[in-house]
Amino acid sequence: MKKIRTRALFVLMIAFFVMAGMVWFVREDYLHGRRWAMAFSTFDNEAEGQLLDCNGVPLAAFGKGKRDYSGDYLTRVANYHVTGDFNGMSGTGVLTRFWGSAQDYDFVNGTSVRRHGTVFLGVDAKADNYAYTLLNSSGKGTVMVLNYRTGEVKCLVSCPSADPVDTEREVEDSAYLNRALSATYIPGSTFKLITSAAALESLPDLETMQFTCWGEYDIAGIKITCEEAHGVQTFEQALANSCNCAFAQITVQVGQKRMVQHVTDYGFLSGHTINGIYTSAGNYPLTFVGDPELAWSGIGQSVDQVCPFSMLRYVAAIANDGVLAEPSFLKTAQPEKTTQLVRPDTAARLQQLMRNNVKSHYEQYISFPGLELCAKTGTAETGAGTSHSWFTGFVRSETHPYAFVAVVEEGGYGLWSAGVLVNDLLQFMVNGN
Amino acid sequence: MRCLRSLLREKTEPEIWAYLKVGRETVPVSHWESLLGCARSCDIRLFGEGISRYHAVLKRSDQGGWAVFDIFSRNGVWVNGSQVRSDGSPLRTGDVISLGGSCVTFQNISTEQRQKNEQNRTNSGKLVNPAVTLLELTLLQAFLLLQHAYSASRENFSVIAISFLTLGVLEWCVYQAMRLMDRLGFEIEILAFFLTTLGLSVAASSIPAGLYKQVLLIVASVVLFLLCGWGMRSLRILRSIRIPSGVLALGLLVLNILTSDSINGAKSWLEFGGYSFQPSELVKVFYIFAGAATLEMLYREKNLYAFLLYSAACVCALAIIGDFGTALIFFITFLVIAFMRSGSLATVLMAVTGAAMAAVMAVTVKPYIARRFTVWRHVWDDMFGTGYQQTHAISAAASGGLIGKGAGYGWLKNITYSDTDMVFAYVCEEQGLAVGICMVGAVLLMAFFAFRCAKNGRSAYYSIAACAASAMLLVQLALNVFGSVDMLPFTGVTFPFVSRGGSSLLSCWMLMAFLKSTDNRRGASFAVDPLHKIAPMEEKILPVTAHRKGKAGKKGKGSKKA
Repeated sequence: MKKIRTRALFVLMIAFFVMAGMVWFVREDYLHGRRWAMAFSTFDNEAEGQLLDCNGVPLAAFGKGKRDYSGDYLTRVANYHVTGDFNGMSGTGVLTRFWGSAQDYDFVNGTSVRRHGTVFLGVDAKADNYAYTLLNSSGKGTVMVLNYRTGEVKCLVSCPSADPVDTEREVEDSAYLNRALSATYIPGSTFKLITSAAALESLPDLETMQFTCWGEYDIAGIKITCEEAHGVQTFEQALANSCNCAFAQITVQVGQKRMVQHVTDYGFLSGHTINGIYTSAGNYPLTFVGDPELAWSGIGQSVDQVCPFSMLRYVAAIANDGVLAEPSFLKTAQPEKTTQLVRPDTAARLQQLMRNNVKSHYEQYISFPGLELCAKTGTAETGAGTSHSWFTGFVRSETHPYAFVAVVEEGGYGLWSAGVLVNDLLQFMVNGN
Repeated sequence: MRCLRSLLREKTEPEIWAYLKVGRETVPVSHWESLLGCARSCDIRLFGEGISRYHAVLKRSDQGGWAVFDIFSRNGVWVNGSQVRSDGSPLRTGDVISLGGSCVTFQNISTEQRQKNEQNRTNSGKLVNPAVTLLELTLLQAFLLLQHAYSASRENFSVIAISFLTLGVLEWCVYQAMRLMDRLGFEIEILAFFLTTLGLSVAASSIPAGLYKQVLLIVASVVLFLLCGWGMRSLRILRSIRIPSGVLALGLLVLNILTSDSINGAKSWLEFGGYSFQPSELVKVFYIFAGAATLEMLYREKNLYAFLLYSAACVCALAIIGDFGTALIFFITFLVIAFMRSGSLATVLMAVTGAAMAAVMAVTVKPYIARRFTVWRHVWDDMFGTGYQQTHAISAAASGGLIGKGAGYGWLKNITYSDTDMVFAYVCEEQGLAVGICMVGAVLLMAFFAFRCAKNGRSAYYSIAACAASAMLLVQLALNVFGSVDMLPFTGVTFPFVSRGGSSLLSCWMLMAFLKSTDNRRGASFAVDPLHKIAPMEEKILPVTAHRKGKAGKKGKGSKKA
């Protein structure tokens, strides 16, 4: 029987594992309980609260059986992709994903209903209204503006949009799709910002190199073309001219491995979350493609796909000296989390380059009064003879530190559709006219 | 429930059942089954030239007769000059046992010594009055009922109230019945009733309409527990039903494979006129019946091949059924039994390696198992897809906090299988993490109890069975709790006693009978008769019994008042 007793220790061992597991679970629960509990905390009918924009304009209210939206049609439709709805038609709205803030959590009591769960959003409803009016007249697309110091989303509009009150009416196709967070587009020349960062970090003599453009460039029998011959240019000039021939050479010199590395590091290939709302991942050729295809991928064509939100994160990080203030829909003075996304020296140089784009090139066509703008255009060929119009960048300003991205579907030249739209919107948001 | 902790304070003292005279020394024999030999791990160590490391087994039968068995010793065992046959030789006081040249004299204890033994034995229920503990449990039940009174609708509440009342009456009835028989050790039952109460509360908030069925099952389980416990008093009965129960278990599994359709990828249910029934649960009980062994069997049947094959057949059958969680439970129980029987770590390691290879094969053959592994530790990546159940369970468990939301106020109940596979999270949400921990603690306590009793068990059979049963409960618990909170892959097994479902409850209560049968404190288990029953003829003893009884009674009253 002595033997049996020793052998019974085996059972004690299993018991010990179970105990250790429990201790581990309690520890995890103590550390992550809030995040866990908030993940699915239901929208309690008892909870009373409202959703306010940064100026206190009510966007939605909830209470005992009460589910209201703004009384103004334009405000409802323009802000729909921010607020979402109570029915969960749009999976990306604050209402659908922000039930938690109507609740409270502590380790002892678990979740409890916060009776007056007012959620202050960073969004400016008036800016959304203005942007929606502009965008709706241009067709489909999206505009998103972010405070790159705090991470607050100041404006988010996606067209077409839906009216959350009028649930009966047939909505336009893809109206529930949040194009800023859940769609991906061919990035076109805006992608040269990523190629530039990769080149700055991997080609030491980049700034002294000269690129000659005769309007077309031949790589292994495949022609890369520009709209016009740009002649002999420096790297800085090539970016301002958005010269495909120059960037084809640069991309090939950087090589696919380093390109993939940078695209991955800057978060273009993964989905992100903003207050728990998921965003789409992009695409870039990951397996060996050969020089011609690699050249196309470096100028934002090939199989490249970018989610506008990913692009916004990237330019916001550049604007903030390489540090990304994680985007959030909530009104805040401090970013909840910061990430070093871009190397500081690279970010500083990219700021200069993007400023040069505007000064030496875009301002020849459009004036941006009162804005110290740094930007890059994109004209992404869809393959169907049309182009998506991109415009992304930021405003150098301490009072209005805004980074932005705009995509107008099949809008033609980047500067003419998206660029004009962003200029109008920023004049409204920054200069109030 | 804290009061139960003192269960472990009660000492189990060694009993003396016989003496062996070795030269001038008299060695007490303190177990019904004792190992003789020169190895350090023998119960009685004998030194001599011809003595093997493990030489013989001394065994007492239920009736009090003794026998000696030769366990393949080098030089054989002789009683009064005649060699011991393969099925053992009976012993009488004064018999001389010769072990490889050394002689020992066997002496059975006298009646007086036996009575002295009995008096020395700890009286269960002396240190901790079970009535008080049971009262606490009843208060807990009343408290739970009160919670349901707030949350449930009027017509449902009457059902819930009747169910809780039935459970309350049932536990007091069992207690009184045991008291009438002077059996005061009631800890295991209270632990089981505690878990069953939580299970009833879960069922009440999950589907109040099916509550009567649940209560009926609880009553049936308790009756089965008592019957099993009664049956287990005799080793002879146990040994005679070992083989038939093994065959029956395998038969049930085969029947299951042949007849049932697949539900959720696993065909683990048999339908009987509207009642579905999970044979694998009952097979658990039979498996332990068949697996445990008495000490002389350990050494006589050196090889475990028969048991090994039998276990492999069971696990394979479960794998075909697609119930991999239960297959894993069986496997670990197999390890416990195999280790306790053979004592060889090599066997266990070999079995684990074999199982690992089988698991790799299973994963490659059955893609849906592979999916479970890929989602493991990544549930939050796909909250509404493959990680749906786990993430909701984790979230619900966390939202209950330490004290819980109250019975019926959780939201996890809206999710399928929350009252079985995710019942830990369910209880954590409605009753709080504290109760969740108690729930796990109760099963852990059962395991400690089994371990403590193992050393003093009457027979190796009881000890092995109790350890195997508690290991089974532990593994089941671990898979259920840690599976639902993504610390282990999600396998969908039930939590002992708490998960809703009939066959699981029945089997758990029957497993309790194994635990109960190792307890050899006086008046605690079915195995040990209380004092006056052993010696009803002896006049001397009776007043002592009466005195003790009186004392216990007074103490009980006193603490109730306090």
